[in-house]
Amino acid sequence: CGFTPAYAPGGSGQQLLGRIALDEPKTKNGYRFGRRFEERLGRSSGPFRLSVKIQVDRQGLGSTSAGATTRFRFVGRALYSLRDVGDPETVLLEGRTNAFTGYSTTGSTVATLAAQRDAEERLMIILADQVIDQLLIDAPRLSASAADQ
Amino acid sequence: QDSTAEQTQDDPALLVADEVFVENEERLVASGNVEALQGGIRLSATRIIYDRSTDTLIIEGPIRITDADGNVILADEATLDQGFRNGLLKGARLVLDQQLQLASVEARRVDGRYTQLSRVAVTSCQVCGHNATPLWQIRAKRVVHDQVERQLYFDEAQFRVLDVPVFYLPHLRLPDPTLKRARGFLIPTFHSSTLLGFGIKVPYFIPIGRHQDLTLTPHLSTKARSLGYRYRRAFAYGDLEINGAISSDTLKPGEARGYLFAEGAFRLPRDFKLDFDLKLTSDASYLNDYDITGADRLSSTVDLRRVRRDELITASLVHYESLRDFEDNDTQPTIIGDAAIERRFFPAALGGELRLSAAVHGHYRYSSIPFDSADADLDVDGRDVGRISAEASWRKRWTLAGGIRAGVTTNLWLDRHMTFQDNTSVRDVARATHGVAVELRWPWERTGPRGQRTVIEPLLQLGYVSGQRPGNPNDESTRVEFDEGNLLSLSRFPAADRREHGGTVAAGLRWMHQAPDGWSAALTIGRIWRETADTEFTRSSGLQGTASDWLVAGRFAHQNGLTLSARGLLDDQARFSKAEARAGWSNNRMDLGASYVLLVTDPDEDRLEAQSEWSFDGEYRISQHWSTSTSWRYDLVDRRLDRVGLGLQYQNECVQVDFGATRKFASSSNLEPSTDFDLTVALKGFSTGGSAKEFRRTCQH
Amino acid sequence: AQGAQVSFGSMQQDTSAPVEVTADSLSVNQSNGTALYQGNVVIAQGDMRLAAPRVLVVYSEQAGRIERLEATGGVVLVSGEEAAEAERADYNIEAGTVVMSGNVLLTQGPNALTAERMTVNLETGSAQMSGRVKTVLQQQDEEQTGN
Repeated sequence: CGFTPAYAPGGSGQQLLGRIALDEPKTKNGYRFGRRFEERLGRSSGPFRLSVKIQVDRQGLGSTSAGATTRFRFVGRALYSLRDVGDPETVLLEGRTNAFTGYSTTGSTVATLAAQRDAEERLMIILADQVIDQLLIDAPRLSASAADQ
Repeated sequence: QDSTAEQTQDDPALLVADEVFVENEERLVASGNVEALQGGIRLSATRIIYDRSTDTLIIEGPIRITDADGNVILADEATLDQGFRNGLLKGARLVLDQQLQLASVEARRVDGRYTQLSRVAVTSCQVCGHNATPLWQIRAKRVVHDQVERQLYFDEAQFRVLDVPVFYLPHLRLPDPTLKRARGFLIPTFHSSTLLGFGIKVPYFIPIGRHQDLTLTPHLSTKARSLGYRYRRAFAYGDLEINGAISSDTLKPGEARGYLFAEGAFRLPRDFKLDFDLKLTSDASYLNDYDITGADRLSSTVDLRRVRRDELITASLVHYESLRDFEDNDTQPTIIGDAAIERRFFPAALGGELRLSAAVHGHYRYSSIPFDSADADLDVDGRDVGRISAEASWRKRWTLAGGIRAGVTTNLWLDRHMTFQDNTSVRDVARATHGVAVELRWPWERTGPRGQRTVIEPLLQLGYVSGQRPGNPNDESTRVEFDEGNLLSLSRFPAADRREHGGTVAAGLRWMHQAPDGWSAALTIGRIWRETADTEFTRSSGLQGTASDWLVAGRFAHQNGLTLSARGLLDDQARFSKAEARAGWSNNRMDLGASYVLLVTDPDEDRLEAQSEWSFDGEYRISQHWSTSTSWRYDLVDRRLDRVGLGLQYQNECVQVDFGATRKFASSSNLEPSTDFDLTVALKGFSTGGSAKEFRRTCQH
Repeated sequence: AQGAQVSFGSMQQDTSAPVEVTADSLSVNQSNGTALYQGNVVIAQGDMRLAAPRVLVVYSEQAGRIERLEATGGVVLVSGEEAAEAERADYNIEAGTVVMSGNVLLTQGPNALTAERMTVNLETGSAQMSGRVKTVLQQQDEEQTGN
């Protein structure tokens, strides 16, 4: 049916595994995104470098007739670009992805705070997984451009 | 003093013309496309007579003078000195920053700095044809433009709309469009609300040196008098902003009401960053009455952190003040403190990643009643909690034959829970818990004939966590969520006061497809089976029982700007215990966003009736000048509209009118339904908002 | 606009004054009444000097009177403080005009004017310049305009 294992020898996964370095994180979200990314594709110093810009907005939902906001939603957007470590000018792959996580505020203040922090951490895991999926999908374009260099 | 004008004063003036008639030593007549250049100033005219004895240029128009700042002076005729610094222009029109036009019978240039215009009409509106009237104009007996201070001083000014006089001011001072920071009034806003009545807000901006400014905004309305203030200060290593107001109104007569929000962000040595965000209000309904914020719990925080590649240090202190009428601030945890440090190591010999982290937590309730009295929640009223926890984890991944990605994670948690003023819980308990997880992923990929790409990835995790639940209370992990972020996790509780114990199996399937013509879709399905059901999970968490709800999450995106994403937890009767969706469509004409949330009835989560709500907000640009925006929130369970907002904006090159109306229907003891209208009419040409070329009208010939 | 007798008037010239021509060589053409001076030709009349590498002199019917001069090959005309350069100059003595053409440069005290053509009227001393005339108006020192 045309499917081949992505991480088998010659598969697209081999283009990515242990070959992508990340920029130094500047924010908590950047740290958690990088931690998840390196956990799945390994820590390395090249030949590729991935730069990711993460933006997180918070949206209130689920308002009751008494005016309380019972649900919040973190909407995360990640814009990424993959370059060759030696050639920071040309962008090899770039893309964007978005995801959301939610948490309720009907609990106590401390329960809401814990749920809020956990929701933002889960959002970074989802965004990292989605960027890895997208890189895996676009990986053939990587070997194509490497071939014609 | 504008140094460039100074130093070019004595540059030679260059005169270029089709014909020059040198009458004698003293008189020279240039005619035909005459251009004169002096320093940064360029002058063009049909005829210039240069009289050397009196060093004056007699210029016949149409004259066009452009100076270094981009200001343009048009005139019919003029006599100027050789440096264009002094002189008289007849039928002069001054155009500042390609926006503001000052047409006058006569203009006098003084010292190359002041331009004094008499019998003036000032507007920034496009005027088509000679005697067409502009949308608005300010007529004045005299206007002085000070090029250095970049100010316009009006005498006997009359403001006219479509040539109808609206109001008269003996003296008026307005900034010229190139002025960046000047003391003065900003654009007023007319505001009407059912709570505060009809009123006007007139902000007044006061710059204090180069690094601070203060904006005072008196808000006078039929039912309230309020003075808003905003103070901003920039430091070398951070900045500070304080917003607030002092008000007295008929809603709470004889009472001084108000609020104060202060936030700051500072860079400390050794890469530490400090943020603080203070929120105070005089009474529970003030923020809603004055439409400051919809927040129903005010959190004041101090947050310190340092982020490095392999180290994360965070520390925070949060103080809560609940504005909800059913919540009592004495029995809610109001002071919450956390501090944590995590370090990542990559041991060469062992391989994989070693993570060590330690954390301290504490939260405090003012009340000291060691049991749950008659307040709204079921928690012990006076309970205070302290916790120390440490974690060590090691994880590694391999690629097995056939492309299977295998991963092992081992964890050791050390927790000590201390509970005070709570008869129902163990006072002090410590536990060591270990856990192990084996994860298998087997992604398959396919490239179709037309270049479409598909990836299918089955997932499996076998997990085990030792130990039993110690007797400490559950204050923080009462709201557990289940999504793709914690499908493969050893513990889905949000805080360390609860962990999952026993064996679990998590399985999932992920599918992603990218079509060549620009649309892409993704789907994730997952489920968790566990040895023994965990009674602490609530129904809407989807994790109850020995088999969790089905997690179904999907995403669709198209090149034309449409994006859909949704997630649901399906129970065994194929009913959603939780569903959330988000849709967005944005292109250059519109930006629409819709959200949906459904949460099933769940007494354990204090939700006595289901929560289901649609919310929609959109902006649509009808034409070059008109754009509209709207926002709705509809509660499907109570079948009621929660709030609706409408916005209309007209913008052309000289005026921007913003009209907004919002209606909020919610009501409670400290919250009343309210309708607010806002109208702002901004005259363009006096601010540095740029000339908004995209909104400029053009003359149809 | 005869204008007062001012220094610029030195461009004024009494066209009836005798014309003195010096040159390296001379060839006379009796048939059309012309004479061609070549090589460092200098024509002097009063305090006006016209120098050019080649000057054709055209005599009028009355014997001994010069009707006009055609100087070509890069001409310099000097009169008192004023000096003008051009590729060609046609001095019509009877009409009292000098027409200079081709990269005309007139320097007049601190001012310099460039043009394609310049017609100087020797009676009035005025000059008519045309063809994208560029004039640099040097800032006059305070004391000079004071006189």
